[in-house]
Amino acid sequence: MEEANSVDIYAGVRPELERIMNRLAGEIGELAKNREGDKLYEHLAFRIKSDESAREKLIRKGFEVTTENALRELKDSIGLRVVCLFVDDVYECVRLIKTIPYVRVFKEKDYISEAKPNGYRSYHMILEVKEETEGKTGGPFYAEIQLRTIAMDTWAALEHELKYKKNIANQEMIVQELHRCANDLAACDVSMQTLRQIIKNL
Amino acid sequence: MKVLFAEDEKDLQEVVSEFLRFKGYHVTAVDNGAEALEKAKSDAFDAMVFDVMMPVMDGITAMKKIRETGDTTPAIFLTAKSEVEDRIEGLDAGADDYLTKPFSMEELSARLRALYRRKRDYTVRKVSYGNLELDMEQSELKAVNTISLANREMKLLQCLIGSAGEVMSAAALLQEVWPGENTNADACELYISFLRGKLKSVQANVVIEGDRTGGYLLKEI
Repeated sequence: MEEANSVDIYAGVRPELERIMNRLAGEIGELAKNREGDKLYEHLAFRIKSDESAREKLIRKGFEVTTENALRELKDSIGLRVVCLFVDDVYECVRLIKTIPYVRVFKEKDYISEAKPNGYRSYHMILEVKEETEGKTGGPFYAEIQLRTIAMDTWAALEHELKYKKNIANQEMIVQELHRCANDLAACDVSMQTLRQIIKNL
Repeated sequence: MKVLFAEDEKDLQEVVSEFLRFKGYHVTAVDNGAEALEKAKSDAFDAMVFDVMMPVMDGITAMKKIRETGDTTPAIFLTAKSEVEDRIEGLDAGADDYLTKPFSMEELSARLRALYRRKRDYTVRKVSYGNLELDMEQSELKAVNTISLANREMKLLQCLIGSAGEVMSAAALLQEVWPGENTNADACELYISFLRGKLKSVQANVVIEGDRTGGYLLKEI
């Protein structure tokens, strides 16, 4: 594949990426419902990784900036985020996503039961999309799905803001307090889940 | 600073209580060891001052019984007799210090301050069991993950860890965690449920077994 410098890094593959992303999002939207037919998530967001951040990440990871590498090495050119009300709903969504016939779980990591050292909690999955893309432009395609509760999502948004700040005064204190917030939010998520179960059984 | 003061001589009880209140202490005065034992069970104090010779139940017996409940509140004995045996018995019963009558009230106050300083330094800040670490200062529970605990969850877990391997009745837990509060086993059961969720969330190798009728048991799995 040719060097992709000034042109779009996804070159001619972009329409295909968008089609797969929309199909996955539609599929998850249909699947992620409980027995009563209510959706299991609060919102579902998706995006194609921007040209700029794909290039930046390739360089940072030491890969050549090519369309092929952007699709194969990064594995998050397609990104979806599923945000749920309760922790149990997150796991139920994970289970349902695994039933989609044309995807294979390439990798998954449960940062909810094993939080990152800074307090980050989420469930991460990288899906390999096996549909009729093989042999075409750039397949196989990968999609990263992040699943979490609203509380975890709020925390991640704040942590994201901090990540892009340079030379912060009191950095250590802020990081420490952010970690405490992650613990408080996790405590709240667990208590709400417990109460939900109790209310269900009333 | 809350002081539990047991003294059967009314005049002395009043004078000392008045003096300590003047010094800024919150004083709960009782007439004998049995009352002191009741108060110590139902309320939390920062220090206790007991006379030895009292009707109904003497100070040494009350002290022994209070220590048996796991209560480590600093205690001072007031002893009329200056016999060595009396002091030894008092200290062995679990007292931290003694004063012989007649005593200077300023000295009593100074000894209470000294005990309080020491208690602050020695207060348990971290408790551990299995792969659990309970940080009382940060209200944080840690195993593989960390999570915050509410004040009651923390006290409850501390009690369960304190008697790990032994069944604790809901009534005993209510007395420890909700002292003097008009509540019932439902509250205890709810907080046990919260704790179970949190133990699971941090991936503890410790579980709470049992229910409100048979009591609760904390153990490693």
